[in-house]
Amino acid sequence: MSQELAASAVHSTAEQHRVHVQVDLLAIPLVVLLFAAVFSFQFALLVGDWDYWIDWRDRRWWPLVTPLALTILPAVFGYFLWERLRLPLGATLTIIALTAAAWISRYLNFHLFANFPMNMVWPSAYIGLGLIVDCILLLTGSFFWTGLFGGFAFGVLLYPMNWPLLAPFQVPVEMHGTMLTVSDLMGFEYIRTAIPEYVRIIEQSTLRTFGEAVTPLTAVFAGFLNIMNFWFWTWIGYLGSKALWLRKIV
Amino acid sequence: MKRLISLTCSALVAMLSLVAAMEPAQAHGERAQMPQLRMRSVHWFDINVSTVNMQINDLIKVTGSFMPSNYWPEHVQSIEKTAFLNIGVPGPSFVRLDSRVNGVPMIRSTAFKKGELYNFEITLKARKTGRYHVHPVINVEGTGPIIGPGLWVEVGGDEAAFENSATTLLGKTINLESYGLANAAFWSGLWFVIGLAWFAYWLLKCPIVVPRFKRVNELGPAEADKIITPNDRRAGLVFLVLALSVVAGSYMYTQEKWPITTPLQTGKIEVPPIDVDLPLQVRLQDARYRIPGRSFRMELEVTNSGDSPVMVGEFAAGNLRFINSDVLKVTPKDEDDLVATDALRVEGGPIAPGETRTIVVYADDALWETQRMTTMIASPDALVAGMLFFFDANGERFPVEVGGMMIPEFV
Ligand SMILES: [Cu+2]
Repeated sequence: MSQELAASAVHSTAEQHRVHVQVDLLAIPLVVLLFAAVFSFQFALLVGDWDYWIDWRDRRWWPLVTPLALTILPAVFGYFLWERLRLPLGATLTIIALTAAAWISRYLNFHLFANFPMNMVWPSAYIGLGLIVDCILLLTGSFFWTGLFGGFAFGVLLYPMNWPLLAPFQVPVEMHGTMLTVSDLMGFEYIRTAIPEYVRIIEQSTLRTFGEAVTPLTAVFAGFLNIMNFWFWTWIGYLGSKALWLRKIV
Repeated sequence: MKRLISLTCSALVAMLSLVAAMEPAQAHGERAQMPQLRMRSVHWFDINVSTVNMQINDLIKVTGSFMPSNYWPEHVQSIEKTAFLNIGVPGPSFVRLDSRVNGVPMIRSTAFKKGELYNFEITLKARKTGRYHVHPVINVEGTGPIIGPGLWVEVGGDEAAFENSATTLLGKTINLESYGLANAAFWSGLWFVIGLAWFAYWLLKCPIVVPRFKRVNELGPAEADKIITPNDRRAGLVFLVLALSVVAGSYMYTQEKWPITTPLQTGKIEVPPIDVDLPLQVRLQDARYRIPGRSFRMELEVTNSGDSPVMVGEFAAGNLRFINSDVLKVTPKDEDDLVATDALRVEGGPIAPGETRTIVVYADDALWETQRMTTMIASPDALVAGMLFFFDANGERFPVEVGGMMIPEFV
């Protein structure tokens, strides 16, 4: 009903085109800002210190917790944008918004305000994960396959995608007879009164059956978990979109 | 268009304020902690700084001693489990180059035993100018920071001249202020470019919101995929292959460039306490706090098993120091040094060698009030503890912890 009214109010197609462009100009920046705000909040809540500090990005907990938390918004909004507009942008756009907001926040709050050197608090790289999910969605047109391949890729590729950024910080150094990584050294030297060493939830030394294979095992495990996770949040997106749809009809 | 700009701005403001709310909290509140916890957690003493006026890049040593209380509250997680010696300054205004307890490096977490004596030494390098109240802190897992006495330190000079480097085990000297940032920014930037290119591909179809929404509605869920063009699919494949190639390529490049790495290091370290032989036995028989007079009175039974008469020179509780000026001359280190230089009165004189005697000690000062220690009467367990410092005829000092029930007096 309302669409017909709107259409009749617009006389020429040129004018209609102009109105549609204006809708884009208004809606797209707002949606991106909304993504940034909601995602920053959600990510700070669920991942927080793991992504804030260079000495929290270990090979067991960080690659397990992060994909599970990172999948939520891409799956929910990915569903919306695909189902309503056939735009495979939900995952890429939400993660671009999150990453941009994270760089701004780390620079302003952690670096300028709280004085931490930027190389201790840079945000991780996740944009590629969103891109892979969106491309799979476009190519398969199916949330089932996107969850299976995209959700799995999300979990598996998070660590290798960040390894180029992280590797220099995991070079060993010696301090007063203790071997540390550069990350640990920075965590010790740059004082955080409220974040003592023991607070870090990172891999502890354990008797391991699989020897050196911690990272690949964690990645594959995170991948499998994330398939379910992705499907679950797509389903939430479906429920949300149905609710909006119903309200519109009523 | 104006509405668009104002809407965008208000959304941006909302986002920035949200981001600002997430900044790391700065812990600093010596009076905020419950008196009970302050009196019965860690007794800090001899806190000193090697300088109070320094320039950027200068070193400062923060030294002192502490003893975890034998009266550590039952309901609070114990310092004997996991603890970390820390320093209370606003963020990394200093970098910590060394931190030791009884000579053992405190890079990792540890545990301290109740009733044992520990000496600490923390070496800091000034990084940001300003005037700082520097506190030693012990973070106790499950309990929080136990803050020691603070001293003011002034840092001047040129922040841009600050240097902090390290040498890796691969023999490379690195600047810790900037190491690895350009590399991380490069890869982040590359992913931004690729992600934004994907976004741009779809934006170039502008207008995309209304026309696509209408078209998807018209086609219905079964037919809606018709809106996707062969070009779209080709672009999807190209970007998918590109993303996977960048992941694989950058990973292999990194393995080549940084072949030697090690996982994050953690674990607990053990610290042996200092052996102390005390020629004294002290028992708290009665403790009363008279609210109107801000007067704390203790009746103590003291046995001197040494060979020199001893006297009480100081009582310290909850980072407040009450000095007996007959025995000890103390000058406050700065305006916020919590020391009452003439506030301890001792009835009963020196205790001779071999003697057991009851003495009465009064610690009377407004510090109880101003440092909010008087709220101890509002606690559910009226237990108090503090350190008594005895001195023998040669001036040798014997620190002894006393503790027990406290009765408030209201009139
Ligand atoms: Cu202070």
